Amino acid sequence: MTGRFRGLAFVTWAYLIWSLVPVAIAIVFSFNDGRSRTVWQGFSLRWWIGDSEQSLLNDPSLHTALANSLLLAVGSIVITVPLGVLLAIGLDRWRSRTSSAVGWMNSLPLVTPEIVTGAALLITFTTLYTSIPLGRPAQLIGHVTFSLSFVVVTVRARLVALGTSYEEAARDLGATRRQAIRLVLLPLLTPAIVAGCVIVFASSIDNFVISSFLSAGSSSETVPVKIYSAVRASSSPALNALATALVVVSFAALILSIVLLTRWQRRRTGSAGFHSAVNDVTQMDL
Amino acid sequence: MSGPSSSPADRRRLWSGLALPGSLWLAVFFLVPAYTIACVAFGRVDPVFRDAVPVWNPLQWQFDDAGEVMSSVISGPLRGVLLRTTAYVIVAVAVCLVAGYPIAYYVARQTGTRRTVLLGLMVIPFWVSLLMRLLSWVNLLEPDGLASRALRIVGIDRQWLNGSHITVVFGLVYGYLPFLILPLYAALDRLDWRLVEAARDLGATTTQAFRWVTLPLSRAGIAAGSVLIALPMFGDYYTTDLLSRSPRTAMMGTQIDFFLNGSSQKQKGATLVLVLAVLLALVMTWYLVSLARTRREQS
Amino acid sequence: MGLGAAALSPALLAACGGGSGGSSEQLPIGTPQNPVRLPVTREPIADGLAPESGTLRIYDYADYLNPDTIARFESTYGVEVELSTFATEEEALIKLRSGAVDADLAIGLTDLSIAPLVAADLLQPFNRSYLSNFTNLIAGLQDPYYDQGSQYTVAQFIYANGIGYRTDRNLDTSVFTGNEGWNALWDSRYRGRVGILDFYRDTLSMPMLRRGLTDVNTSDRAVVEQAGADLAEVVQAVQPQLDGISYQEIPAGNRDLGFCWSGEMLAGPGYLPEGVDPSVLGFWYPGNTLTGNDFYCLLAKSTRPVLAHAFVDFFLDVDNALENQLYVGYQPALQAIETEQLIERNGLPESLIDALVTPERYESGQRLVRLSPEVDAIWVDVWSEFIAG
Repeated sequence: MTGRFRGLAFVTWAYLIWSLVPVAIAIVFSFNDGRSRTVWQGFSLRWWIGDSEQSLLNDPSLHTALANSLLLAVGSIVITVPLGVLLAIGLDRWRSRTSSAVGWMNSLPLVTPEIVTGAALLITFTTLYTSIPLGRPAQLIGHVTFSLSFVVVTVRARLVALGTSYEEAARDLGATRRQAIRLVLLPLLTPAIVAGCVIVFASSIDNFVISSFLSAGSSSETVPVKIYSAVRASSSPALNALATALVVVSFAALILSIVLLTRWQRRRTGSAGFHSAVNDVTQMDL
Repeated sequence: MSGPSSSPADRRRLWSGLALPGSLWLAVFFLVPAYTIACVAFGRVDPVFRDAVPVWNPLQWQFDDAGEVMSSVISGPLRGVLLRTTAYVIVAVAVCLVAGYPIAYYVARQTGTRRTVLLGLMVIPFWVSLLMRLLSWVNLLEPDGLASRALRIVGIDRQWLNGSHITVVFGLVYGYLPFLILPLYAALDRLDWRLVEAARDLGATTTQAFRWVTLPLSRAGIAAGSVLIALPMFGDYYTTDLLSRSPRTAMMGTQIDFFLNGSSQKQKGATLVLVLAVLLALVMTWYLVSLARTRREQS
Repeated sequence: MGLGAAALSPALLAACGGGSGGSSEQLPIGTPQNPVRLPVTREPIADGLAPESGTLRIYDYADYLNPDTIARFESTYGVEVELSTFATEEEALIKLRSGAVDADLAIGLTDLSIAPLVAADLLQPFNRSYLSNFTNLIAGLQDPYYDQGSQYTVAQFIYANGIGYRTDRNLDTSVFTGNEGWNALWDSRYRGRVGILDFYRDTLSMPMLRRGLTDVNTSDRAVVEQAGADLAEVVQAVQPQLDGISYQEIPAGNRDLGFCWSGEMLAGPGYLPEGVDPSVLGFWYPGNTLTGNDFYCLLAKSTRPVLAHAFVDFFLDVDNALENQLYVGYQPALQAIETEQLIERNGLPESLIDALVTPERYESGQRLVRLSPEVDAIWVDVWSEFIAG
């Protein structure tokens, strides 16, 4: 058995290296001395802090992109997670034909190509919902619409694993249904909610198609949109620095949330951890 | 003493009330835009500003432009694009399955810290911009790039970034493989390994146990994962735009992007979006129907 | 060029007469044969006002203004300048019309956009008394065909389409004479080392120019389809990359040859790796090619119109324009700028002198004009077929 696994281990590690080498290259080239993003010309911090106009420190358009990406990500979490949690609970408990229809509707965005969603939203915002301006408002709505289904799937997985016994116990002790949900169910759902936050954050940070379609010009560019512009217009290793900065910030946010969650778990012994949230998603049928 | 009892109607109102905001959001920002696309595809073009003007009343829809696009898709230049896109998706998904299954299997069979570490490493790419990673591949595959040079040492000397189908499929695999490994891992993790052990106890070889027990049991996961990456892949356009930029590797997404963002004929782009959406809806329905059928057979 | 363009305007105006409700204003499109005087619906600002203080908002292409020159303007007038950028004219039009973007000056648009800008009542006319440097412009652009009297626009850069190339890669430069150089794009010896612009009007007109045709606004479907077929041959022969960054890729060494704009190649030296001499970059100016220009225009909703005038006037000054060119590469449309100045002051390499558009060249080039939706549909369809592969 170990022999077979050695071959698979090799494949897996090869995959991980193949997957991460471009990441390393992107980070390395952010320290390139020249303008090129592909030809190494020596080490320098020029694109991070040195260049007085185009470095990450000094170029306002890069700051805007970074700020936009983070704002959109946080805004997406704030809207998507509550909506998604409520929708998941409602769908899970509500047994009727309408709810199956809604459930089916919810799984549509998961399998719709982003270009379809992005194009539909762009046309709708410019012809029908014209009171919503393109740019950050439209992009926020697009991100939420895109990631809502992920949150619902994640939370429903946990709901299925939990069952209704906890709430029934609470009701036996005198709680109303609403109280049971608020005081018992939601805390039990915390790992799934945190997992949902993480998923929304990651998908919003990396979202390109929807952000690009719904942007209103350079003031609402996000980091992926700015990077893509490297194909069409001027580019420099400052873009690599930008992408690296975004990764660093994202990871910091992720680690922070994991630390907070673990600390919170320790206060409330007995409830499951982040790992179990991942488990639940993996247990569920897609 | 049990809590205040509620009628079924009360309960339904509670659950549907909870589900209301989310459903409303999806209706407003997903279903209505879907209808708007149809209204634009069958609408008019404003002659002054060359805008696409949606026509909301289905009775007033005009089908000339949409008809032109459909005939192009069925028997014209766009047919080639659709076939090419389908071919890319099929090949890319196949490669993803062949590459991803062993990896998912390996990780699913690990335990404890090693498994957490592996899962953690696999999740990292989700946090680094895909575009940045693809651009790094452009870097590597340029004539003087490291990958090109390494391949030349092994005797493979060709240009990778000039309309190469292999490069585009490679890019698609690179971008979507992580999204396949996770569901596959999920399916394999859920598997009851005791069945495999039982098979081996009954005398099956490793290969036979894999082929007759593991593989069939993971079929649902394979199907789900494939659908999960295949459908979005149909609309991909930035992979070929970054890695190839040649008409030889154009996908449906490229055409849609041109019509909607770079031309005065946005209604044709909307028609293509509809074509793609309908196509994918058919695939999705087929998947769901066969899933329901297998579930019924199993129960 | 004559018949096609001349037939275009009356037919277009007739078509617009019965247009959709709400936007059926006539769309006056000027052509070199039929210049047009745009209707003026609002008065220019009064004379003799002082420039406002505060922040001047500019809507522009990326990297189209030298930050140093802007900084000097800011310190001269004690103001701030805020830049927002657009990637394509279509995008700019959409954002300006929808009100998503609010600015004082829009820079970098071309006559392809002037008619919808005026039809949407987005512009206000300039007051010439604030533009003392206006006469620095080349004569032809002081009274352009798309805006007679230069009421709404002030020309900015002029450019032409041509072929940029590396002089150190043993290309067969004997073809770069007369109008023959286009054939280099069909030469399979350069397989995999070629870039081609991906703007449908420019790129589809290139095979037409190669064949000596002068009507690049044709409504003749056969001609456009022939151009599409010619482009398919190019793809077959050299497997080019279709994008707008030849001006970076040629200096970087990834491409030897590119169909691109003259102005971009002038900016090419800035993209060379350290230590590489700019003389490796060359440009071939075709015998039959497109010329074009873009302009500054003053937005109707501007809150600092006097300051905006001062900005335009600032960049019409020869010294400032030369400094601007150093960064942007594109050639200012000023007749007062001599080639020698560009070589000595701005370090233009001799090998790129052919990228300069003299006033004579500007006059003799073909111009792209805005097409009616029906004709544009032909071009869009052929392009869609071309990029379908």
